[in-house]
Amino acid sequence: MIQSTLGVIIAAFFLISIISLLWWMLHVPPIIPQVAARAHREVEALKNLLIPTQGMAYSERGVELACRLGTEQNATLIFAYVIEVPRTLPLNAEMENEDKVAQEAISHGEQLAALHKMKNKSLIVRSRSAGEEIVKLAREQDADVIVMGIRQHIGLKENILGRTSDIVLRKAPCEVIIDKLPGEEET
Amino acid sequence: MVSDNTSTPPSPELPHELRRDITVWGSYMWGYADVGADIYAALGLVIAAAQGAASLAFAAAGIVYIMIGFAYTELAATYPVAGGGHYFALRGLGDFWGFTTGVALLLDYTIDIALFAVASAGYVNFFLPYFGIEPSHFVFMLGSLKINYLWLSESFAFILFLIWLNIIGIKESSLFNELIGAFDISIESSVIIFGFLFAWKPEYLIQQWQTSFPTLHQFMYGSSLGIISFVGLESISQAAQETKRPATIIPRTSVTLIFTVFIFATAFSTLSLGVLPWQTFQQHIGDPIATLAHAIPYIGLFAGPVTALLGATILLISANSGVMSASRLTYSMSEFGLITKWFDKVSPKYRTPVRTIVVFSVIGIVEMLLSFLTPQAMDTLGNMYAFGATLGYLIVFVALIRLRFSDPYTPRPYKMPLNLKIHYKDRIVDFPVLGILGFLGVGMVLFEVILTHKIGRIAGPAWVVLGIVYFIYFKKKNNMPVTKSIERNWEAHQMDVLISAEEFDLAEEYRIALKERDEKLKKHEQIKTDR
Repeated sequence: MIQSTLGVIIAAFFLISIISLLWWMLHVPPIIPQVAARAHREVEALKNLLIPTQGMAYSERGVELACRLGTEQNATLIFAYVIEVPRTLPLNAEMENEDKVAQEAISHGEQLAALHKMKNKSLIVRSRSAGEEIVKLAREQDADVIVMGIRQHIGLKENILGRTSDIVLRKAPCEVIIDKLPGEEET
Repeated sequence: MVSDNTSTPPSPELPHELRRDITVWGSYMWGYADVGADIYAALGLVIAAAQGAASLAFAAAGIVYIMIGFAYTELAATYPVAGGGHYFALRGLGDFWGFTTGVALLLDYTIDIALFAVASAGYVNFFLPYFGIEPSHFVFMLGSLKINYLWLSESFAFILFLIWLNIIGIKESSLFNELIGAFDISIESSVIIFGFLFAWKPEYLIQQWQTSFPTLHQFMYGSSLGIISFVGLESISQAAQETKRPATIIPRTSVTLIFTVFIFATAFSTLSLGVLPWQTFQQHIGDPIATLAHAIPYIGLFAGPVTALLGATILLISANSGVMSASRLTYSMSEFGLITKWFDKVSPKYRTPVRTIVVFSVIGIVEMLLSFLTPQAMDTLGNMYAFGATLGYLIVFVALIRLRFSDPYTPRPYKMPLNLKIHYKDRIVDFPVLGILGFLGVGMVLFEVILTHKIGRIAGPAWVVLGIVYFIYFKKKNNMPVTKSIERNWEAHQMDVLISAEEFDLAEEYRIALKERDEKLKKHEQIKTDR
């Protein structure tokens, strides 16, 4: 004969607790192969993401991708706008319009970063070559990866990359991720 | 700078000779084999001391035990090699403390072999009259001492069997634990479930709580006995070097062991006091589970033979755990140059440390003979057991705290809960608050052991002092500094351990952490040079 309701509850609690504990213990997560583990950990180690931006739709897309890439490891986003100054002008020449565009592009990036609640900092720099400057910034800022969106159509049909992305890919001291949407012919 | 594959060249110190054959169930059972038997034996003692508040005494002891368990879970998952507490102390505090912890724990394991083999044989004797053999007839007199040579022979045969089993392979000895342990857990669970359903009266428990509440002194004594009944969790970490994917498996098996044992201990004590008066257990200190099972309807009829079988088997696998743990502990001590290198050999055929298995089981046999020669020897062994375990645990807590500061880069798949983030040398370190509380808790138990165990407070420290004398002799003989630790490449060693354990994810995490540290150091040096 059952002696007490409390006894039944305790017996049930005991049984459920022991079975649950043993079930959890026996369900070990699967092994991760060494190559996969390396990829997993190396992506996790990307803490400083340099994002060259131009305020265009394609570069905003690069910003959004970078935000998502860095969310899990709480990475810092470094937005960079490089104003290319023609050689005919001094580097500190007044370029009011370009400065305004740069500020706007950077603020777009900051808004996306805020949306993802991510740490970020912004740089507006002047240079003769955007590509060379991005490489220099990557070095100075200890970037782990450069994430950049590039335009769909770049000059000649046979060219896949523009001058800037070509320099960045060739000379970057870190990993580079280029995002390019398909062109009209491809779509 | 860390290279692409490993941080530094492979360590010559780690031979990778032990075979990884222990599964998740096996790992759990190495711990359960040891702790399960302790509870089986200690239930009566704790009820006799803490009376109506026995469940509370178990729960209070359980809190300290849980903290010890968490510390071991963190360390065994972080450093999945043979050696247990000795290895953690060696990594955190250096050679001397590594050796001292090893010697303290070795005392436990050799006693484990002796005590539990003898006790297991005692339960086997229950069945002999059914075969027309009366154990009490096999007695001879040695002076005024009555020696049961049948019991002695059985105990001796059990230890020989365990030596053989452990020599032929960890897979075989682990399988032995796995099968018997599963049977024991089922029986113990049945007693608890049937007991709560058909015999437990809450009003009876409340009445005993109200009328037989112990004094503070009685309660403290009871809870200190409760702590001792939880000893044995270390076996999981002793088997770590032979466990498959130890850093993944050990946190699971340890946490499960901590809570299942805690549930069993509190359930048994609560059930006992809701079924029988505490005085009954005081009168049957030697067989509390049998006494309890007898009073439960439906299973009471089988209580005698079933609990005797349970006692015989659970105590035998506990002795098995002692053989395995003593051998792996000393193998590790030898591997790291703390005792003679003669023990650092693994059988090429069986891949087990045959020399340490044989030598330290023989020490267990000597202790067993002693227990038959004097009536007090069992008590002495029990006291020394408590001293060895608590001293070892105390040093392990210090090592855990130290390692959080000195080795922050090794990945910790599990961390003790409740940490304070503090700044230390340009880094943020998780300071383990539970580590301090655990240290204080175990320190209090050690104090109680020294205060209340007359023989243990002399015999236990004497064992450790003898060990230290050997340590000094060994170091001097080999022209090694006594007070300083041998230089070891721990980073390469750690990487080797993780790779050989197929813990690739952790190996990568470790490699990247070292790489980041090296880059940071390089930058600091660059800044200094520029200045």
